[in-house]
Amino acid sequence: MAEKKTTVRSQDPNQRRVLDSATRQRRLTRQLEALEKDNFQDDPHASLPQLVKRLPQFDESNESGKRRKKTRGDHFKQRFRKNFQALLEEEDLSVSEGPNYLTACAEPSKFPQRHFCAVCGFPSNYTCVSCGARYCCVRCLGTHHETRCLKWTV
Amino acid sequence: LYIVDFADTSIVITEPYFTFSSIQESMNEILFEEYQFQSVLRINAGSLSAHRYFHENNAELCCIVVDSGFSSTHIVPHCRGRKMKEGICRINVGGKLLTNHLKEIISYRQLHVMDETYVINQVKEDVCYVSQDFYKDMETAQLKGEDNTVMREYVLPDFSSIKKGFCKPREEMNFTGKYKTGEQILRLTNERFAVPEMLFHPSDIGIQEMGIPEALVNSINNMPEEMQPHFYKNIVLTGGNALFPGYRDRVYKEVRALAPVEYQVSVALPQNPVCYPWEGGKLLAENPDFEEMVVTREDYEENGHYVCEEKFDI
Repeated sequence: MAEKKTTVRSQDPNQRRVLDSATRQRRLTRQLEALEKDNFQDDPHASLPQLVKRLPQFDESNESGKRRKKTRGDHFKQRFRKNFQALLEEEDLSVSEGPNYLTACAEPSKFPQRHFCAVCGFPSNYTCVSCGARYCCVRCLGTHHETRCLKWTV
Repeated sequence: LYIVDFADTSIVITEPYFTFSSIQESMNEILFEEYQFQSVLRINAGSLSAHRYFHENNAELCCIVVDSGFSSTHIVPHCRGRKMKEGICRINVGGKLLTNHLKEIISYRQLHVMDETYVINQVKEDVCYVSQDFYKDMETAQLKGEDNTVMREYVLPDFSSIKKGFCKPREEMNFTGKYKTGEQILRLTNERFAVPEMLFHPSDIGIQEMGIPEALVNSINNMPEEMQPHFYKNIVLTGGNALFPGYRDRVYKEVRALAPVEYQVSVALPQNPVCYPWEGGKLLAENPDFEEMVVTREDYEENGHYVCEEKFDI
């Protein structure tokens, strides 16, 4: 054995911070929202040299296209200052009958939730006392404490 | 070759279910005022899929379309060519969520790939599959060495010699020791089937919604009783996520387990689930009823948004 790893149990119970359920719920919601993001960004590989030179395409009809182009972009930006969240709330408040976007959402599942280890992904049986993350074995718990547990605040 | 004069053409364009009226109005404006199409049909993609399905199976009256795409999954029952609004069910899990989740777990466990959406999307399409027996696959994935039939190694592109990532075939995989060559490798075990599992159990990740089979059964149960056996017999899978290997068999297995025993269950997966609605649109455009379904530019200029709201069943 080259080095002795400090075990989790050697932490003083008084020193370990425990998150309450409201904070855990907030963390979860944050993670789920992060999953919904659209990834609008420039191609990270755009600056690499092109392998095949593409010939420039000469377009004769360029001038007529430009004449017909109306700048509608600003018009729509004026109309749609509300973003998706605001439109959703408006829909919620409106009294229209029948199913709409919000009622069409699926209900919670009748089956119990399955838990997976946050570190390796296999089915887990245990929960971290401090932050509520799941783990499957003591080794994964060690990794979790070193890397993620309470490392950032919500 | 394909120079199109908009003023003479009609267009069939699909929209998501239950879009807001402000978005529908701006769609009308763009199509009629800016592009000036001759006639426009705005329709849901599922209705086009249903039209295509009924074209092939003339005898059937009802079908239920599962459209699992990029943003979300919609389950829509159709009867006699009309969609049934009360049965529409939306699961907020789609290809976007699956790719983002795969990016996160790879970034935590192996290599930081949070910026490489396109590369990981390719990984997901090449390597992920839907397992038929989740817990058994989980156990196999935990074995070491040759016994682990689930593990695959994926070579990442480096854009100089390897332009596109690919999955290494099993014979070349090196189970012990490290690689000498300079290629970057991702080793995927349970992620292969745990990621598409989110379509069937969104609760795995904390999303409190039903998965596809449960929502299918739930949606059918909200329909009148005499139609239910017809819905079970005509389940159609469309959308990009239907391309996962094993998807159709798994949906069949789960729905068969949840459906009443006297009903016959039949799940159809078309040859090309992604283009199935487009084929439906093509058939619809050739249909003699098409002229009554569209809104012409003259109609719109006379009556405004009202005529579109009435005619288009979105």
